[in-house]
Amino acid sequence: MPIYKRSYERYQGPLTPEWLRFLVPARYAWQELRERRFFGLFLLGTLLCPVICALLIYLRHNLGALEALRLDARKLVPIDEGFFLFFLGFQSMLSFFVAAIAGPGLVAADLTHGALPLYLARPLTRRSYVLGKVSVLVILMSLITWVPGLLLVGLQWSLEGDAWLEAHRRIAFALLAGSWIWILVLSLMVLAISAWVRWKPLAGAALFLIFFLGGALGNASNELLGTHWGQLLNLSHLVGTVWVNLFGRAAQTGAGAVFFRVQARGGQTPEWAAWAMLIGVGLLSLALLHRKLRAVETVR
Amino acid sequence: MNSGILFEDVSKFYGEVLGVNRVTLAIGPGLTSLVGPNGSGKTTLMNLMTGLVRPSWGRVSVLGISPERPEQLLRRTGYATQYDSFPRGLTGYGFLYSFLRLHGTAHAEAERRSWEALRRVGLEQAAHRKVAAYSKGMRQRLKLGQALAHDPEILVLDEPLNGLDPIARAETLALFRELASQGRYVIVSSQILHELEGISDAIVLLDGGYVVAEGRLDEVRREVTEHPARFLVRTRQARLLAARLLEAGAAIEVRLERGGDGAVLATHDAEQLLLALNRLVVELDVEIESVAPLDADVESVYQYLIRTPGGPS
Repeated sequence: MPIYKRSYERYQGPLTPEWLRFLVPARYAWQELRERRFFGLFLLGTLLCPVICALLIYLRHNLGALEALRLDARKLVPIDEGFFLFFLGFQSMLSFFVAAIAGPGLVAADLTHGALPLYLARPLTRRSYVLGKVSVLVILMSLITWVPGLLLVGLQWSLEGDAWLEAHRRIAFALLAGSWIWILVLSLMVLAISAWVRWKPLAGAALFLIFFLGGALGNASNELLGTHWGQLLNLSHLVGTVWVNLFGRAAQTGAGAVFFRVQARGGQTPEWAAWAMLIGVGLLSLALLHRKLRAVETVR
Repeated sequence: MNSGILFEDVSKFYGEVLGVNRVTLAIGPGLTSLVGPNGSGKTTLMNLMTGLVRPSWGRVSVLGISPERPEQLLRRTGYATQYDSFPRGLTGYGFLYSFLRLHGTAHAEAERRSWEALRRVGLEQAAHRKVAAYSKGMRQRLKLGQALAHDPEILVLDEPLNGLDPIARAETLALFRELASQGRYVIVSSQILHELEGISDAIVLLDGGYVVAEGRLDEVRREVTEHPARFLVRTRQARLLAARLLEAGAAIEVRLERGGDGAVLATHDAEQLLLALNRLVVELDVEIESVAPLDADVESVYQYLIRTPGGPS
């Protein structure tokens, strides 16, 4: 075809920034979650613990209220590493349920409906697609864990003064880092399960199975073999171990929620082993996603 | 450098299964039809040129861009796969809108383009209905709409005529022609061969993962030398004309039509036959109603090259 006959002209107008486009695949996940009333109520329920914690912090600094309630400030829970580790443990347990509800449908729906070639036939990489889907879980879990956690730290700091922050300077970092470790490992795991187990209820069940069966297997092998290495199969124990070390020695005895309880007794999992296992789980999840998320699935 | 769509010695294997083998091909602007039976490698070729699969061997280049760089390439490409699949829960409009946002189109522009694409494929009235409630033909048109919506330079359409009613099919073919005439690359695969025949600038015939023939239809037909070209000549003096053409060696086989008002002539050299026919018309003062090639269509070429035993009936 002669060039002079070609009337096609490419669009030269402005485009939205490339780094923002990962949010498009998440768009309809948000819409679907908004339509689920139970999920909305559950999410609202996750705010209960932060509100109670905020009240506790406020009470400790309000003599009038303490007198009116006839409470002794010394008998109230101290606002220290243990307090925030408990907060992180409890909120992370709730975020686990949120991920179990919201996560399984994220990738499974696209795979079941054969929508992946449609996404990947756009200027969108597999990395951006995964980032978009993970962002749903990261945002939800952040709103439950480190965001209210840091707000509580801010409240305590404003009421207690700089000396408190100086004395407990690990807390803010430990809250943030501990939350992100949990969020990243869990989000990647949920997405990998969603990619491989396409039936949503089964994917949700698989997540619970990995956590609880892993824990039970770990305990059983510890009892049978007289070792403590079986705890490497217990993901909540591994996360708890890392948290305790992030928050410091002061928080080591019976701290965290039931879900992440780390007991101060001999034969604990070494911190390096906990880190290695968590990194391993994250990398394995990424490998599983890499293998499954392809534009063209080859059935041999 | 804009150098069209180039395949250089490209092979694609899915494990031990052959997708395409040693394909060397250049596709230029205009409408190119990929023709071949099921499993011949049409979809693999399309997936290779859009970067959805990578070649096991060889090199693919599209407008000078490697399909290894999907962000660059797919900005200029619209692909409608043959699979009847859509993300769950979307309306026709929502589907087009959100996928335009993936291209980086801003909100207002994405809205405008979504409606424009819906209008082009005749789905304006059904824009806010869920895709799951669409008929097969409507879903097929929506797939075409999403490939067109961002106004791409290259359109790759895998069996886009499937499920369309005759009117929609005619409209769609006219749309392909219009897009191709603007200088875009429109690559269509189909098994409805006769429909592509009239509108294609080039055809690529595939069989068993190999490119059997490529080029303009008449060029490809000319290359099929083992099958003589056949012409139907309508005239009342068919017997006389046929005898003289056989005698001159311009025709190698003759079959007279019932009633004697026509003859089917077979030749290895179509140009020689037509020249001889012209001479005889003048010489014998014969009145000819029509001369029509019987197997210069894509279906015949397809039959000759791919379903060889028997050839066209």
